[in-house]
Amino acid sequence: MRFSDIIAMSAGNLWKRKVRTILTVLGVMIGTASIVVMLSLGIGLKSAMLGEIQSQGSMTDIQVYNYNIYGSGDAKQMTDETMEEFLAIEHVKSATPLLTTWITMEQGKWRTDQQLIGAPQEYLQQIPLAEGSSYPATGTNKLELLVGNGVICDFYNPSNYEYPYYDNGELADVDFINRTVFTKFESVYTTDAEGNYIEQPSRRNIFPVVGMVEGGVEDYNTYCWNVYTDLDALKKYLQDTYRGKAIPGQPTDRNGNPYRYFCYENAIVSVDDMENVEAVQAAISEMGFEATSEMEWIQSAQQEMLIVEAVLGGIGAISLFVAAIGIANTMMMSIYERTKEIGVMKVLGCSLGNIRTMFLTEAAFIGFIGGIIGLIISYVLSFVCNLVLPDLVGYGDAKISLIPVWLVLLAILFSTLIGMLAGFFPAQRATKLSPLAAIRNE
Amino acid sequence: MEKQNVVVEVEDLYKIYKVGTNKVRALNGVSFQVYEGEFCAIVGTSGSGKSTLLNMLAGLEHPTKGQIAIRGQHIETMNEKQLVTFRREHVGFIFQSFNLMGTMTTIENVALPLTFRGMPKKERLKRAERMVKLVGLEKHKKHKPNQMSGGQQQRVGMARALVLNPDIVFADEPTGNLDSVTSAEMMNLMRNVVNKHHKTLVMVTHDNQLASYADRIIHIKDGKILRIEDNKDKRKEASAVSEED
Ligand SMILES: Nc1ncnc2c1ncn2[C@@H]1O[C@H](COP(=O)(O)OP(=O)(O)OP(=O)(O)O)[C@@H](O)[C@H]1O
Ligand SMILES: [Mg+2]
Repeated sequence: MRFSDIIAMSAGNLWKRKVRTILTVLGVMIGTASIVVMLSLGIGLKSAMLGEIQSQGSMTDIQVYNYNIYGSGDAKQMTDETMEEFLAIEHVKSATPLLTTWITMEQGKWRTDQQLIGAPQEYLQQIPLAEGSSYPATGTNKLELLVGNGVICDFYNPSNYEYPYYDNGELADVDFINRTVFTKFESVYTTDAEGNYIEQPSRRNIFPVVGMVEGGVEDYNTYCWNVYTDLDALKKYLQDTYRGKAIPGQPTDRNGNPYRYFCYENAIVSVDDMENVEAVQAAISEMGFEATSEMEWIQSAQQEMLIVEAVLGGIGAISLFVAAIGIANTMMMSIYERTKEIGVMKVLGCSLGNIRTMFLTEAAFIGFIGGIIGLIISYVLSFVCNLVLPDLVGYGDAKISLIPVWLVLLAILFSTLIGMLAGFFPAQRATKLSPLAAIRNE
Repeated sequence: MEKQNVVVEVEDLYKIYKVGTNKVRALNGVSFQVYEGEFCAIVGTSGSGKSTLLNMLAGLEHPTKGQIAIRGQHIETMNEKQLVTFRREHVGFIFQSFNLMGTMTTIENVALPLTFRGMPKKERLKRAERMVKLVGLEKHKKHKPNQMSGGQQQRVGMARALVLNPDIVFADEPTGNLDSVTSAEMMNLMRNVVNKHHKTLVMVTHDNQLASYADRIIHIKDGKILRIEDNKDKRKEASAVSEED
């Protein structure tokens, strides 16, 4: 028998029993739609989550910390030499040291203590600037400052420790750009012969604020709580200012003398690909530093998502399973009904294989059509989900439900296959029916 | 008598049904031949084993013992799959209850066995058309079974059995569901086909009147052949008489 004839006959038989066919297709449709919508939610949530992470910082960056910077004399330090070692690790693109030290900023009666970060120009240049700002220059003697957009919230009145922003929601009357800000490095302490601490207060300076980080005071970003300056300029300034003495924020040797080199508390190592982050991170930990990256919680989040996806997919799978039972039932009924017809076909010489194929094709048709309609429904439901859910879940306007092309193809293939699987036993049954059924005269 | 080709050769055929502990000998040692181009009738009372015999000749049932050869091919040794193939190539079958496909038109019903052969649509419709003409149903070729009388439906059944150009056509009580006038028409048509198109036909009936249309009549009773009656000469006489009238 020609395949086109088999298709035509199967379609004709389904058409003959329209209501039953439609009801069975309905089952497959609901099954497919629920499995597709559930999976699309899983996929959408995952991609929304990844998008969220990506917007918060690069996933290929590893934050390296040396919490032991002020430790005893032989503590391992992170220096420019260490940066070279980082660069030597395979897959490392760049190693950026951040020189951190604390400063006090004052304007009028307001004061705040902030972390000053000396960063290389490549790092500074990627910080988004507010309008009219510029980046701190390199190669100058004067320190130029770039102030985070949230720093203004931290100002307090030292006479009564009132924080206007945190206490009353009002911003301190501070203007970084148009009025002078006085800046002081933190004091350095040394011990005298008797072992008493001696405070060596730093001088008040006027470092020009050349820029502000983009964003309102409430807008969070990686740079909003810090003050930045050029790394080389900061090094040069500190060396010149504290020549032969302890440098603020830097460790000293056993005798209270500064090292000849700078020690970093924090560095950022960039890796060429997400795949390699874990390995590089491990290598850095091996060297005795604390290394963290977004990868860790992405992985745990992904694991959680996998569970969510499995649960959602499982719910869909159950309804598709029920639909498969529906198909099997329909096919079984139709075979009992058509016992005589099948007998006649056998008497007329229709091969057993053809009979089996005919019924399998019918079942596959039900699966296929149910799959197609189910997908159409899925697209509608997915559209509604994306309209309603993001506000509830709080992912902004990210798409919560995503139906990628592979899911479309897989759904059709799967529903058709389910149909055939459900039809297999009834079809096998049909081939076993006796041709004598045709002879009996009812 | 001229030498004739044997189409069906039955030898010592037995069919024993077990019903509980009872054994029903539906066929109890039957041997005969059917020759090419003859119309052969199997006659007997109800329960005599006519249908059982015919079903085995058509390969729908396996004999308990004995041999059946159709054009020299032994069908008692064939399995289900081979039997289907055999029927598709060599056997036509006319049912008592017509058994037409309700969703198909006359032409499509007639073409169905050719569909099972995998013949292209154009070719099979052409052949079906020829058969429909042969049984005189040109006017009804686009009709569905439920739009036709029983006699017309059985003509469709006949065209469907002939379309394969089979070596042999079997018919089990082909007029069982028809009135006497329509039955007579049907019998004449079958006679016609056998005479003009040199077909071989084996028909089962319990009606001696209908059996008299055949060339040879096999009388069976309780699963055994009572006698085989040559009806050719009688028929010639009869038709001569009717021509005189
Ligand atoms: N499947 C079966 N199981 C048991 N006994 C059967 C079976 N088929 C037929 N028989 C028995 O075999 C005998 C012959 O049956 P068969 O159908 O051949 O008779 P028949 O001559 O065709 O009768 P009718 O004219 O009523 O159709 C009967 O006694 C019947 O009861
Ligand atoms: Mg019978």
